[in-house]
Amino acid sequence: MTGLGYAVDAVAVWLSGSPAPGWIAVTVAVLLVWVAPLLAIIFPVAALGQIVERKVAAAIQRRHGPNSASLEGPLRFGFRVLLCFLPRATQDRAFQRFLKLPVVRSLLPILQKLGIGQLAADGIKMLGKEDIVPRGADGAVFRLAPYLALTGAFLPFCVVPFAHHLVMLEVSVGALYVIAVSGVTVLALLMAGWGSGNKFSMLGGMRAVAQLVSYEIPVGLAVAGVVLWSGTMDLHAIVAQQYRPGVFTFVGWNLVQSPFLAALAGVFFLAGLAECQRTPFDMAEAESELVSGFNTEYSGLRWGLFALAEYTEMLLIGALFATLFLGGYQSPIGEQWIVGLHPLLATLLHLGIFVVKFLASLFLMVWIRWTLPRYRVDQVMRLCWLTLVPICLVAVFGLAVQLVLAGGTEAGTAYGRLAALPRPALGVLGHLLGWAVPVLLLAVLVRIARRRHGGMHPALRQLTGGGS
Amino acid sequence: MTIEAITLGGERMQLNMGPHHPATHGVLRIRVESDGEIVSSCIPDHGYLHRSIEKIGECIEWPMFVPYTDRVDYVCAMNANLAYCVAVEKLLNTDPATAVVVPRRAECIRVLVAELNRISSHLIAVGAMAMDVGAYTPFLHGIAQREHVNDIFEKLCGQRLTYNYVTVGGVAFDLHETASEEIASFLDQFEKEMVRFNKLITTNTIFRDRCANLAVVTAAEAIAWGLVGPNLRGSGVDWDLRRDEPYGLYGELGVRVPKGERYAGRKGAVGDCYDRYIVRLLEIQESVRLCREVLKLLPPAAAKANDPIGGHQADVSKVLKRPPKGFVHCRTEAPRGEMGYFLVSDGTKVPYRVRVRTGSFSAAGIFHKVMRGIFLADVVAVIGSFDVVVPEIDR
Repeated sequence: MTGLGYAVDAVAVWLSGSPAPGWIAVTVAVLLVWVAPLLAIIFPVAALGQIVERKVAAAIQRRHGPNSASLEGPLRFGFRVLLCFLPRATQDRAFQRFLKLPVVRSLLPILQKLGIGQLAADGIKMLGKEDIVPRGADGAVFRLAPYLALTGAFLPFCVVPFAHHLVMLEVSVGALYVIAVSGVTVLALLMAGWGSGNKFSMLGGMRAVAQLVSYEIPVGLAVAGVVLWSGTMDLHAIVAQQYRPGVFTFVGWNLVQSPFLAALAGVFFLAGLAECQRTPFDMAEAESELVSGFNTEYSGLRWGLFALAEYTEMLLIGALFATLFLGGYQSPIGEQWIVGLHPLLATLLHLGIFVVKFLASLFLMVWIRWTLPRYRVDQVMRLCWLTLVPICLVAVFGLAVQLVLAGGTEAGTAYGRLAALPRPALGVLGHLLGWAVPVLLLAVLVRIARRRHGGMHPALRQLTGGGS
Repeated sequence: MTIEAITLGGERMQLNMGPHHPATHGVLRIRVESDGEIVSSCIPDHGYLHRSIEKIGECIEWPMFVPYTDRVDYVCAMNANLAYCVAVEKLLNTDPATAVVVPRRAECIRVLVAELNRISSHLIAVGAMAMDVGAYTPFLHGIAQREHVNDIFEKLCGQRLTYNYVTVGGVAFDLHETASEEIASFLDQFEKEMVRFNKLITTNTIFRDRCANLAVVTAAEAIAWGLVGPNLRGSGVDWDLRRDEPYGLYGELGVRVPKGERYAGRKGAVGDCYDRYIVRLLEIQESVRLCREVLKLLPPAAAKANDPIGGHQADVSKVLKRPPKGFVHCRTEAPRGEMGYFLVSDGTKVPYRVRVRTGSFSAAGIFHKVMRGIFLADVVAVIGSFDVVVPEIDR
């Protein structure tokens, strides 16, 4: 009807009470359906990502991480704002009584230990900082860049299904849209790097552009492989395709469907890591070389927006990885029972499962970041063009061959509207063959690589605890 | 990986790395001229940390200069103390009338603290090198171990960074009662920890690929440019003053000297960043062994401080008032290579001239040569691999 998606239509119709809603109802519906979930889900989770990062880093480095910032201050401030119509003494008394509540008393120290207080403190600090625009900067470009970065990170979420029909925009070309829209980030980083009027920033910006543009190709090819397999670009349909009845729902996930898809999943994750400028691909903001790369000159809220954009992008990669390869919002076991539940309950469960899935990939990214060193510029490019892209091409080709050999359709998924989509039905033999050949090939390749590289120097073996 | 910098009539970019840059170790300023990502020239600019230490040496009495040696190299202050004190003792020994015999227990303690400080200094070196290449975690693990060494030193002399512990004729305080056990237990847990550290970063493929064949210094070049210490040994030159010109107790200990052997394998070269890095790690292992040896040799403490076996401080207050005339040059093996003191005495209680020569200074001299044609990203890694400490350059 409005072309803005099923959910917007439904809400607009419900709001206006007529089958042809006016523009006010549509606008309100868009706000409710698109913007509100964005704020309600992505913002807190992205902010939480920062805490996850700091806590995981602390654990890896055997520190405590943020655990001292109290939540009392922000809460008191919240009380003062909420109760601004009351005298100060009454506000304080109310706050004291609130603090004495058993729930609050037991919960506050735990939240403080988890570093939630640090989150609030950092937020307040960023809001309060001076907004500095360097004299040599290109003002408008410099100011606009963080917003654009955030836009590029948020827009793709519009088509990511969080639960059955819990999607802001149901388009049939979701996969294409995601890749197209996330390209905005490139421009944002270039603007930030160029507009700062700082040589380090510019180098960072240039590196970012070279890297992002290059790594969009393996990402695109990996997505293309999934699209080829599923026969659709609709992310919702791709998720629905991975549904299997029975206890072990995860056998339907694309990750285990074919070794080629597994390879593509690996490439997608690595390239995704590069797309969000994370170690080992964080050349663009390489701290030890370029101070802070493209965001060297940013401070306060604008810097905060860049940080938020980075975490949002990490979440996006996690969400896309889950959607494309891990069955989206579906539970790994017993999905059919969840589908059978009350729709609201099922939606909440799906949402929870999805958040857990992309937090898991967030954790993986953080883990990688605090473990590995950084690639050099030329090594990053070589990895992309000489390793990831060929792997992708071979995998997509193999996938196509597999589809031709074992192609077939199987009617009926959990979701009625997708019943007619084709899905290959490989026999047991087909599956075994499909896995055995590439795995053997990989083993041979690894052996050859090992032999070519030669053994480790005995001194190194001794340093790592082996016999001298 | 070295690429010949080719410029097709293009413009070169001047980039100031430092004096305030997160990766340069201290206030080191490097003027880099780059052609895109490739460094076409690189000029270190020194002097931001110059404190006239050598001039101060001409104004104060012999033993009063020891605290200043701490500041010559604050990452390994014990070794810096030791270098000066050994030099002064050499000066005193030129005249039999003023000769000083350092008690054996003091010699043992000196080796112990020097090797412990070498461990902690090399931990900073390898950790910072890992951080320059982008891995933050190993640095913190190294720092955590360094803190243990600092704890030991704090119990020993009350300080954690600038110790002022080694004195002319001995050491300032005797070991506390439980020191031997503490050091032994530290060494045990430290060895396990280093295995972890090496598994985390040293054999990491990314790290190895980045450091292999980077900033290669051949043995002939290393000698020609006057590199010293681990930087020299990293280039495959077998030279260590502790073994080849032993001072103190080192002659008895039989120091094993590691040298660069193309540890990175097929992709590497002798004298690349990876070799320098591995040589430091192997030296840490050797220091652990030396500490254990010395703990076995340590004689029990005597009641008198100037006891020639169990004491910790020979009586030198009189001879330092009237040292022999003349000059002496004495070099010792500090973590950053040879630390040489040239002392001129005119027979008074104040030195006529104090001159310090340090390892970082000669390492900084070769920067402009090895950095030409490498990637911008590697500049910090190369600085890290030479383990430059700025106060040592500027003094």
